[in-house]
Amino acid sequence: MSRVAMLIDESICMGCRGCQVACKQWNDLPAEQTTQSGTYENPPDLSAVTWTRVRFTELDQGDRVQWLFLTQGCFHCGNPACVEVCPTGALKRDPELGIVTVEKDLCNGCGYCSQFCPFSIPRLDTDVLSGEGKAFKCNFCQDRLSNGLIPACVKTCPSGAFAFGDREAMLGKGLGRVDLLRQAGFPNANLYGEHEMSGLGRLYVLKERPSLYGLPENPQYPAMANLWQNVVQPLGSLAFGAAALAVLGFYFVSRRNIKMEEVE
Amino acid sequence: MIGNRVRGVQEADETGAVRIRWIPKYSAMERIFHWGHTVTFLLLAMTGMILFFPFLRPLARGDGGQLIRMTHRAAAIAYGALPLIYVILEPRRAWMSLKSVFKVGRYDIEWVKGMIPYYMFGRHEAMAPQDRFNTGEKLNAVIIILGSVVFAITGLVMWFGKGFVPIGVFQALVILHDLAMIVTVCMFIVHFYLAVVHPLMWAGLVSMRYGVTSAAYAQEHHALWYYGKDRAEEIYEAHKAERGEDKK
Repeated sequence: MSRVAMLIDESICMGCRGCQVACKQWNDLPAEQTTQSGTYENPPDLSAVTWTRVRFTELDQGDRVQWLFLTQGCFHCGNPACVEVCPTGALKRDPELGIVTVEKDLCNGCGYCSQFCPFSIPRLDTDVLSGEGKAFKCNFCQDRLSNGLIPACVKTCPSGAFAFGDREAMLGKGLGRVDLLRQAGFPNANLYGEHEMSGLGRLYVLKERPSLYGLPENPQYPAMANLWQNVVQPLGSLAFGAAALAVLGFYFVSRRNIKMEEVE
Repeated sequence: MIGNRVRGVQEADETGAVRIRWIPKYSAMERIFHWGHTVTFLLLAMTGMILFFPFLRPLARGDGGQLIRMTHRAAAIAYGALPLIYVILEPRRAWMSLKSVFKVGRYDIEWVKGMIPYYMFGRHEAMAPQDRFNTGEKLNAVIIILGSVVFAITGLVMWFGKGFVPIGVFQALVILHDLAMIVTVCMFIVHFYLAVVHPLMWAGLVSMRYGVTSAAYAQEHHALWYYGKDRAEEIYEAHKAERGEDKK
């Protein structure tokens, strides 16, 4: 099978949050205790036990208010920084399907994935003091996929906003919807994720500019991750090797030249 | 003669055996601080490296990795607390040492010039008089002190600020923490070599273990400390003049 993608048409989404519930149910995640904050949006953010959630944005357009829904979750980047920076190999990208998963048993809770993700997707349940915990995020229902099923959120969506399958097909479908939306009075409609981060596995059909949905307009692979892995880490090995070698060399030179019998 | 040649005071008893006159150099607190610092530094370096070197990946994994990360944090508390406790216990001595390691003078430059001939070929004649800490020891102290400050600031923010500080800042902190590690561990390798391995430097390890150094060694290596500034300079200048005449 080739690379898969999830296409979410945010012009169809009605904000029912069925996907949130299905995700919790399938992945056996507990509900969160939250407080009413004056919005239908709930819980307030992604967390170690909330891997997908609908973000509600109220867009004030003068005479009317437009409600923008965005089903947040892992983007399954083509070039995932989290996988690159993970020191344990717990995060990996399936070379075939392109899905990015966390192997819980390998994770040690360091949290680098959460700090290098350009979308701030991985979340930790770590204890602040001891640092014990694990990283969690959407894995496109890896267990369902490997058994020929589609992700729980896609399966459950009553409005038909979700589609899932071969990435090329999803791109074609998404671009078709964007064309339709543009003709239907949404001149800013766009498909998010076609090229970002070497192509995302989570594609959005958006009615407005991505920034209005709270998405980065131009997400970049973090330069710091490159610097860290391609410069600082080799520099470390090089510096230690050079220091040890120099010291060893000095040792032999001084052993040859310094006669302790003469000194003492 | 213990403590090397040239200007040492020969002290032998009637049987002709060399008698070493020991003088105090490091206080008990100073030594406990030094060794506590050593142990915690090495523990931190070893536990921290599992997240740094890709080849240590098997150690970083799962519960074992979690335990190592926790050990890193526990050791960090001790590492940070030690200098603070030491400063409270011996404030005057700590201040004196701190002042002296950050003081750079012309003898430090001369010391650096004479470093290679001395450490590699044993030529001690050119070495400028040194205080209680010589230039190399001062450089080691300065790098470790500054490195520790970087470790403490970046480490505390990464420990308690995850999720609060912007991710760009966090990423920069990871890199700073690692750079400080590279610099200090390289310094440690050199320090270990000079203190433990180098044949001429035996006295440093003795004084860090027992708190004393031989008077002859102190005269040779720490003249400013042993004789005081004026006398040490007098001896140094006289010796330089003598050597100058030898050459002619």
